[in-house]
Amino acid sequence: MPPAPPQPPPLQPALPPAPAPLAPRPPEPPPREIRLSPATRSLVTQAQTQAAHGDLPAASSTLDRALRIEPNNSLLWIELGRLRLAESDAHQAEVCADKALALSSGDHGTQRQAGRLLADALRAQGRNQEAREVESQPFMH
Amino acid sequence: MIAVIAAGWVVHLDRVVTREFRGRLWSVPARVYAEPIDLYVGAPVGAEDLEEELRRLHYRSGDPAAGPGHYRRHGGSFDLHARRVRFVDELREPELVSIRAGSDSITDLKYADGRELPVFRLDPLLVGSVFPVHGEDRIVLAPADVPPLLRSAIKWVEDRRFDEHHGVDPLGILRALWANLRAGHVVQGGSTLTQQLVKNYFLSDEQTMGRKATEAVMALRLEAHFSKEDILVAYLNEVYLGQDGARAVHGFGLGSEFYFAKPLAELDAAELALLIGLVKGPSYYDPRKHPDRARARRNVVLQELADARLIDAAAAKRAAAQPLGLKPPGGSYVPAYLDLVRRHLKRDYAEADLAAAGLAVYTTLDPRAQAAAERSLARHLIRLDAASRVRDAHLEGAVIVAEPNSGDVVAVVGGREVGADGFNRALDARRPIGSLVKPAVYLAALETGRYNAATMLLDAPIELKLGDGSTWAPQNYTHETYGQVPMARALAESMNLATVRLGLDVGLPRIADTLQRLGLEKRPILNPSLLLGTVEMTPLEVVDVYTSLANGGFQARLRAVRAVLDEHGQPLKSFKVQVESAAPPAAVYQLDRMLILVTTRGTGRGASLRLPAGMTVAGKTGTSSDTRDSWFAGFTGSYLAVVWVGYDDNRVTGLTGAAGALPIWTDTIASLKSASFQPVAPELIEDRWIGFADGLETTPACSADAVVVAVPKGTVLPAKPGCGPSPTGSLGDKIESWVKKIIH
Repeated sequence: MPPAPPQPPPLQPALPPAPAPLAPRPPEPPPREIRLSPATRSLVTQAQTQAAHGDLPAASSTLDRALRIEPNNSLLWIELGRLRLAESDAHQAEVCADKALALSSGDHGTQRQAGRLLADALRAQGRNQEAREVESQPFMH
Repeated sequence: MIAVIAAGWVVHLDRVVTREFRGRLWSVPARVYAEPIDLYVGAPVGAEDLEEELRRLHYRSGDPAAGPGHYRRHGGSFDLHARRVRFVDELREPELVSIRAGSDSITDLKYADGRELPVFRLDPLLVGSVFPVHGEDRIVLAPADVPPLLRSAIKWVEDRRFDEHHGVDPLGILRALWANLRAGHVVQGGSTLTQQLVKNYFLSDEQTMGRKATEAVMALRLEAHFSKEDILVAYLNEVYLGQDGARAVHGFGLGSEFYFAKPLAELDAAELALLIGLVKGPSYYDPRKHPDRARARRNVVLQELADARLIDAAAAKRAAAQPLGLKPPGGSYVPAYLDLVRRHLKRDYAEADLAAAGLAVYTTLDPRAQAAAERSLARHLIRLDAASRVRDAHLEGAVIVAEPNSGDVVAVVGGREVGADGFNRALDARRPIGSLVKPAVYLAALETGRYNAATMLLDAPIELKLGDGSTWAPQNYTHETYGQVPMARALAESMNLATVRLGLDVGLPRIADTLQRLGLEKRPILNPSLLLGTVEMTPLEVVDVYTSLANGGFQARLRAVRAVLDEHGQPLKSFKVQVESAAPPAAVYQLDRMLILVTTRGTGRGASLRLPAGMTVAGKTGTSSDTRDSWFAGFTGSYLAVVWVGYDDNRVTGLTGAAGALPIWTDTIASLKSASFQPVAPELIEDRWIGFADGLETTPACSADAVVVAVPKGTVLPAKPGCGPSPTGSLGDKIESWVKKIIH
């Protein structure tokens, strides 16, 4: 049986901080800061360069690679959503933003980025009222 | 008069030959590539894996300075001179890189000159070729794919004057006649390669003078119209080399995969000699059935090649001492996967686009996952067959592995005989899904907001009058009843009675809606038996439905084809990750927590016995009525896999999902080096401890059967007496539960 697989850099500290006052419930996850691994960061940079040169298909394919490495990293879904907006696919951008939001609970900075993407994607579809609602969410401030 | 008829006959044959041969010659198949492997620090590729991959990609051990295509290994360190290679998104020039790998993962990666290299792709592996339009598949060799030794050796052994004659070789016939007379029986045939090709293409096997004459005329006409090169390559692609069940093995490309499980370019002299020797009589010299004959024949060929100085005598001697080196079929020949590729091409591309020559199809196939799934299925079906009382039939099975976030299908196994083109059960076996349907029932319940994992359900007998006047009285698989049980346990232990009561309370239309949102295409019939999975699905459709559960409520469109490039490397079209919202993430998270309990406490608990310690997975067993179908659908942090086991004639297997499909699933997942399933809790959901039996809120210190479930924040749960809100448990327990929580 193979040993446990290597994990992407932990999104949470490997050991908990000193436990909070005793409670019968499983403890709340601590606030966290979602980051990209060096591999996915370099792919995101590459995708951004490709997109800046107008090669959107290549950028898309590069982000695919990053997603294979860290499929649950909300920052990648935000990148992918930004690219979909650039491709004028506002609906896919919206779903990517939803997915990023679902993956980024506990990280206000990332939630804010996902929220901005969501608002942009909604506006691109003429859904301005919904966009304003997103912008008034607590995590946007 | 006779001359006129004869001339007309020749003209007719000429037309047949030209038309037919041209048709075959010009239908160049598209080449199909697997997903290239990305290397980065932490990538789950150990040193042995890496060397194996390099070999499969035909990298040679040697001085990297000698040029692209070479690598040198010292322990875990690799210096690699990567080739110029076309990817979907770029053409990469040759590069010198240094890679360090431990036993399980990449530990360091940089350019040879010391520059940083955060991520590096290996070449994409060629896994086959398809004729996208007419649906046949075969490993077809292009002229450049023919190893020089094969080229000269086949001529030497089968038709020495191939380069000189015009399709028929009178001298060859005389020589054969002489040899046969001397031996007193037939030891040589006088047919040229061209005649053999004509015979294979156009003619039946009967040995008559008329047929011989037709063959000779056709061979002459073929030679008049086409080059020696075209004819030789066509011959190498057409020649019959053996039988794989119902499938005839034609051509050296497929023959190499069938006997040695590796591409033709990798065969050594002994292996090539075996294949060349087979031409004379594929069943008489069948190396699997008659290894001694095959070995003797191979060594005769080796001796002939040495006599002709095509290989040197010492090498021939060494080769003759080698074992046959046969491999069980499997590895890089992946007919079931190619079948899915072809269907996706048909779905997504215009036929006219695919008719162009020289296309390259880039797929999402992961050859390692494919091999793992094939191995696991074959191994367990042999074991289950041996344990079964059925003697007149073999169990069959299917496995599909996908990456649920992107929808990439990474492996498809269509039956136990991987090499056999035929019924692709992964895509076409439509069977009742049994309890695989239950997660949809529980999800629909959670979505109403009226239920949570700790809600008590009644597991007690129930009788229903159906629309047709009949009475339906379902039972639990165990034929017992369990009374009041928390919802999490009812799902984990797959209780039928509790589920039927829950489903009726939620309402059949709502459950059908949920199933359809998850990806079921046709609306199921709203019969109460829907709640126990009478709905029929193929393994592929199950994958489709379960992606949303493995993916936080988002459904990714399944794809096997990432892009198709034309002969200039320009994309015809590419397929992006496409995601849709299928179910509310909060409800899916609550459900997923329960599906983890299936694999730790419920019907799927056998999974934890075979997986690495601490690895969390989620899934559901399924068993159709009378155990005709055994299913398991489950997921980790990186993969979703669905396994089906049953008989083709739909007879009773005696296997539950846990006994049949689950071990195959677990073995496949265990060899994939997959990450744990760690869903991210949505903001409004929290994890709580409840007693698995009584559903009361508790702590691990207070109840031995405490399990973690997810409920909406602030949900009031009845507490176990004495285990209420007052702090219990030591600091050590707290830390332990914390760590558990993080691992989960």
